[in-house]
This record gives sequence, C-alpha cells and structure tokens, in this order.
Amino acid sequence: MAYPFWDLQIGYGILLAVVAVLHVFISHFAIGGGLFLVVNEGAARKARDADRLAFLQRLSKLFALVTLVAGALTGVGIWFCIGLLAPAAVSVLIHNFVWMWAVEWTLFVVEITAAILYFYGWKHMAPADHMKIGWTYFWAAWLSLFVVNGIITFMLTPGAWLATGRLWDGFFNPTFWPSLVLRSSVCVMLAGLYALVVASRLNPGGSKARLVRQTAWWGICGLATALPSLYWYWKTIPPAVTAAALQGLPTPVTALHYSYWFAGIIAVLLVLFGLIAPGRLQMPVAAALLAAGLGWFGSFEWFRESVRKPYIIVDYMYGNGLEVADTESYRKEGYLSHIAYRSGNDGADLFRHACRSCHTTGGYKALKPAFDGTDRAFIAAIIKGAHLLKGNMPPFLGTASEADAIAAHIETGLDHRPMSSIYGLQGVELGQKVFQIRCGKCHPMGGRGDKTKSLAGLTREDHGNLLDSAAELGVGMPAFTGDQTEREALIEYFMTLKAGGGK
Amino acid sequence: MNLPDSNILPAPLWLITSLHVITLSLHFVAMNFVLGGILIVLAGRFDRGWDNLAVRRFVALFSSATAATVTLGVAPLLFLQLVYPLQMYPASIVSAWFFLLVIPAVIMVYYLLYAASFAAKAGAPARGRYLWPALLGLLYVSLVYSSVFSMAEHPDLIRRLYAQGQEGFRWNPAVGDYAFRWLHMVLGALTVGGFFAGILGMEDTAVFSAGKKVFAYGMAAASVAGLAYLLSLGESLSALMRTPAIWGLTAGIVLSLGSLHLYFKRRFFFAGTALFASLLLMVITRHELRLLRLQGSFDPVSWRVAPQWAAFLIFLVSFAVAVLFVVYMLRLFFCNFRVRP
Repeated sequence: MAYPFWDLQIGYGILLAVVAVLHVFISHFAIGGGLFLVVNEGAARKARDADRLAFLQRLSKLFALVTLVAGALTGVGIWFCIGLLAPAAVSVLIHNFVWMWAVEWTLFVVEITAAILYFYGWKHMAPADHMKIGWTYFWAAWLSLFVVNGIITFMLTPGAWLATGRLWDGFFNPTFWPSLVLRSSVCVMLAGLYALVVASRLNPGGSKARLVRQTAWWGICGLATALPSLYWYWKTIPPAVTAAALQGLPTPVTALHYSYWFAGIIAVLLVLFGLIAPGRLQMPVAAALLAAGLGWFGSFEWFRESVRKPYIIVDYMYGNGLEVADTESYRKEGYLSHIAYRSGNDGADLFRHACRSCHTTGGYKALKPAFDGTDRAFIAAIIKGAHLLKGNMPPFLGTASEADAIAAHIETGLDHRPMSSIYGLQGVELGQKVFQIRCGKCHPMGGRGDKTKSLAGLTREDHGNLLDSAAELGVGMPAFTGDQTEREALIEYFMTLKAGGGK
Repeated sequence: MNLPDSNILPAPLWLITSLHVITLSLHFVAMNFVLGGILIVLAGRFDRGWDNLAVRRFVALFSSATAATVTLGVAPLLFLQLVYPLQMYPASIVSAWFFLLVIPAVIMVYYLLYAASFAAKAGAPARGRYLWPALLGLLYVSLVYSSVFSMAEHPDLIRRLYAQGQEGFRWNPAVGDYAFRWLHMVLGALTVGGFFAGILGMEDTAVFSAGKKVFAYGMAAASVAGLAYLLSLGESLSALMRTPAIWGLTAGIVLSLGSLHLYFKRRFFFAGTALFASLLLMVITRHELRLLRLQGSFDPVSWRVAPQWAAFLIFLVSFAVAVLFVVYMLRLFFCNFRVRP
C-alpha cells in the first residue's frame, strides 16, 4: 500500500501472462538453442557435413534475431511489468536477491557478447574458436537460468527462508532442483521445436529427412525428460499448497490438464513428422508444433502462477501485495491509513488495493456478474469472508466500514433489478441462479464447502428457517437478503437436491 | 509469526551507490554511441551512401551497441530500484503506459538497426528509411526516462498526478524540470557520437575532420543546454553549490575540455579516458541533485543495512570472470579474424 495502483483496464494477469509467457518461450529456446547449435556444429564438423552446417548457420540467424532482441527485451519487459503491477512484491525480491540478479547480469553480458560473436563468426572464425564461443554462450545462458530459477521458485516455495531470512535458504528452496531439471528439459525440447521450423524450409530430398529426424530427437528427449520432472516438481510443492489448489482452485488443475493435451499433440507430431515421415515436414506442421510448445509451456507457467494463490510469495505476501506480517496492524488500523497514494474516492482506493489485482468491476474477472441483483450488505459480507470463497482468495483484513465502502463502490456498477428480471428466469432455474450467486461462492456443488448432503431431504419449512437464520449458521455467512421471489425459487431449488450430492 | 523483514539494503549504501553510478556511466557510453551515431549518420553530409567509412562502421556496430546499451542499462536500474523503490515505482506507475511503451519502442529500434545493417551489406539504398524511425524511437525512450526519473524526485507531484487519474496516462507536466536535462543528454550523445565518428574513421581525413567538428560543436551545445539546466534548478542550484558535487561538476567540465584537446592531438586512449571520467562526474553530480531534491521526504541513509557479503563476493567473482570471458572471446574473434568464402 506504499505504492500507487495502476488501474489497468485489462486484467493484470492478462498483461503479465502475455509478456511473461512470450519471454519464457524465447528465453528457454535461447538456452536450449545454444546447446543445439554447438553440439550439432561439433558433430557436423566431425562428419564434414556441409548441409548440416548450412542448416545450423540459417538457424543461428533466427536464433540471434529472436533471442538477442525479443528474448532480451521481453525479459526487461517482465521486470517493467511487475514493477508496475506488483511493486511491493518485486521490491521484496530485489531486496533479498539483488546480488543474484547482479550475478545474472554478468552472465547476461557474457551471453550477449557470445551470441553476437557466434552469429558473426561463422564465416570469419576458425571452427575450434567458433565452438569455444558457442560453448561459452551455452554455459553462460544455462547459468543465468540457474540463478533466475532460484528466485522464481522462491515465490512458490520460500521454504526455510520464512523462518531464517537467510538468502541461501530462499534461493535453494524445495522446488529449486526439480524446477531446474524441468526447465532445462524444456530448453532442450524448445531447441528441437524451433529448429524444426528452419528444417521444414529445407529443400525436399537431399538431407532434409536426415536433418529433420536428428532435430526431432531433441524435441522428443526434451519432452520425455520434462514430463517426469514436472511430476517431481509437483511432488515437492508443500502438500498444504497442492491440497488447497486441488480443493479450491480450478485454474491450476485446468492448466495442468491443458498441458497434458499439448504434450500429447507435441509427441504425436514429433513421432509422425519427425521420425516416421521426416521428409514430409512442412512449415504449417512445424508452426503447429511450435504453437503446441507455446501452449504446453504457457500451461505450465499458468499453473505455476495460479497454484500459489492466495499468495504472490507463499506465506509471506498475498496476491494483492499485503504482507502477512502486517496482518495485525491492518486488523487494528484498517487499510486506509496505510494507503500512501489516494485518489479522493476511498471506496475506489480500497477496492484497488484489496481486490483489483485480480478483479475488475466490469472487465477481466468481473465482479458485476457475480453480484448483479444483490445488495450492499450482501457484498460487504462476502468481502469480509473473502478467504472462505472458492478460488483461494486473500483474506480481507480491513475494518467493517472499509468493507462497506468497497461494497458501495462495487454496487454502483451493478444491475439493481431483481434477479428474475435480470436473467429472465423463474422457478427452479431462478433458484439455481440465486444459489450460484448467493451461496455458490463458498459452497460450490462438488467443491470445497459443498453442503448438498445437509440440505437434501429437508422440508420447505426447514429451508425457510435456514434462510432466515443464515447469518447465524457460521462465521462469514451473510444474511439472506434476496426478495420473496428469489427466496421461494431458492427453496424450490433446494427441494430438488438429492442426498448423494447434486440434483 | 516473525517473518523476515525485507526492508533492508543487502550492502552498505556507498557500495550500492558506487555500483549504480559506474554501471549507469557505462550504459551512457553505449547509449551515446547509438543515439549520437544515428544522429551523425543521418545528419552528417556523407555523400557516399552506405560506403562512407564512418557510416559503414557505425551501421555495422549499431545492433551490437544496442545490445550493450540494453544490457548495461539493467544494472543501474536494478540498484536504483533497490535504494529508491518508494520513488521509482510510483513515478513509473502514474506514467505506466508511457513507461511500458519503452519496451516495444526499443524492440522496434533494435530490429530497425539490424535491418539497416543487413541493408547496408546488401547495398540497398535509403538508410533513412531505417534510421529515422530508430532515432524517433530512441528519442521517445530518452524523453520518457527523463520525465519519469525527474518525477521520482517530486513525491508531491506524483501524489497530485495520481489523484487526477489512476490509469497510467499521466505525463510529467513539469516540463521545465526535465526539458533541458533531456536536451543536455541528447546533445551529450551527439558529442560522444562525434568522438566515436572520429575514432571509427580515423584513417579517413574527411571523416576524422567531421568527427572533430561534431565533438567540438556538440560539446559547446551540450554545455549551453547543461548551463540552462543548472539555471532551471532554482533553489536546488544554490544548495548544489554548497555540496562537494559542484567540484565534481567543475572537474567534469575541465575533463571534457581536456578530452577535446587530446582528441585533436589524436591521443584517443587518453581522450576517451578523460571523456568517460567527465561522464562519471556528471552522473555523480546528478545523483547528488537527486539527494538534494528528496531531502525532507526521503533519506537513503534510513535503510537498515543487512549485508549479504557471500552473495556480493559471488557477484564480484562472476563480474571478474565475465570481463575475462568477454576479453577472451573478443580476442578469439578479432585476433584470428579472416574473411572466408
């Protein structure tokens, strides 16, 4: 709350995902591609394979143009983005890991110099010298991954650092090694996928089939190593984090499921067009492989970013930038006195700092559809019990009046008609909608907090009594504040529930 | 739960400030080469297209120099964010869109400079087609940085701008605060570009002569802009006059003139050393000015220092190894350089 809030109309997640996924997709190729080039150059020179050398030279042009420019600058782009979107979190990272970033910078200097000299050196350098530069490039690039990996994994599993505050405890955290192996495997896989794009443009006949087959093995080996290391990575995440994710978060689970599909597509295409019919690899297939690679890696990054919810640094800082250590002072003093940059609208400022990192009122992850047809009291109650909601939300630590101010801010953009008018529903259908909006945020069917069993088999009168005393049923439960039509429809819906769960 | 406090400096302030100043000066050298070089190639009266010696060499080196500019720019910003997060992030957030557009602008510049170097090799005409947009891109980036970094020294201004709008579209309205600073930087880049033009074309009398003119006239123009900037500082100037930084500034001016003299005598190594020292002193002066302007709202000495000496040592070793590797690779590249079919 020491920083102003960038009220970005598109979602924070969207902007960061676009820049970050693009960057990791290029930067991992920058590492694997370096290894691919120098290993293949060595083999080609040993075998005096002129076709393979010509292919590598073409690849190195793509490599230089993609990695030196887009790769390097999207990396700076991530840094700029997180500084604008989550300055408190990036400040924590810089104050703890500045020397590791500085080490990465020195590696980056070597990497960039080597990449430029390698690219320009094909025609001007002795082969042995050229390969020395190639190996220097690869090791500098991989070591930079080694360094950054420690900082990235720290955010999900800060481990013993939470107790000791020691740099090395945070750096060599529980997911450091599996993540390093996983990312190294991805580097190898992406090297193969990018190189296949260049190989697909080789003239049919000649050495195309041989070069495509050799290149495809990189993709297959990388993928084959990545999958078990992903499992290892998953197993090293603390059970509390994975259990919370499995129970309350559809996003990381969905992301993991997507990754299986993309891995399957990559494997099938590599076997078909890389091993069985390598001479028939054309640009559209190579582009599809590359897109599937982007999809696979994007899914993993999506998983990694979402599984740590509600935190941005697990057990240390919430996704909205509030430090866990300051919980008590927020509870005592509220949020407003901590907000350093004010707009003059307290409700809007509170909304920005408490909710806006993930939600907008009417755009990305909009709250409007979640609250249309409800009222301020209901919204305020939901805010106060945010930590109970599905989706592993950060707790609301402010005062009751601040929750009310946020509710008032959200309420201004809502549709205030009855739900029956808004959605054009009646009877059980309306009751189901009322349930989704008023109850399903904490009690989703089949999810954590599912109360179907306890509701099934009750009489209309019992249901009516439950609604009347809703606010007293548990901590964080809001009172039922819907109108009579909604109340009757909801009871109608309750009557359709069966003891085995669901309708 | 007693969680670690991250509000610390992992090294003494003087050490971080020194690293910031040195790396920022190195960044300026590379940036001046690119910006000044483009200005000279575009505005210089070189009538032989790509074939002019200085043009050819500048264009061949622009993309690599841009890589150096970007890479060398990372470290000073990192150290700046370490000590001044409460100033730097707010200033960039209120101008967020302008600040973020720096990235696509630099990507565009980078690709244009690569395209220019490929076009030069292929003998394609119209170098301006690539270099004019690249120049505009660089001027945009430099203007945004001048605007944002100036704003970072005025917390009240940031608060006012934020209250007016939170969408990240606020441009620093205190133009007088950074216009001369920006102009001084651009003219300084032209000056350094003139220095490099002469070096790149030292065996060509006409090119060296052009380099001398740009170096000398550029320095005169940059001095006027610098003086205007000092005068625009108002109260801060008199405060600055009472700090040792004013001696640094004076020494910087003397070193600049000395560099010019040595350059005319073709003693390039000493001229370059004097020019870099002068740049370093200007950066130190600028840093002192930042401290003066922040007085009353923030004092960097207030940070709690919790040194991470082991990690710092690793950084030092990796820095030394990196320098050795860069030198080694350049030797490999240039000492055995041969034109192969």
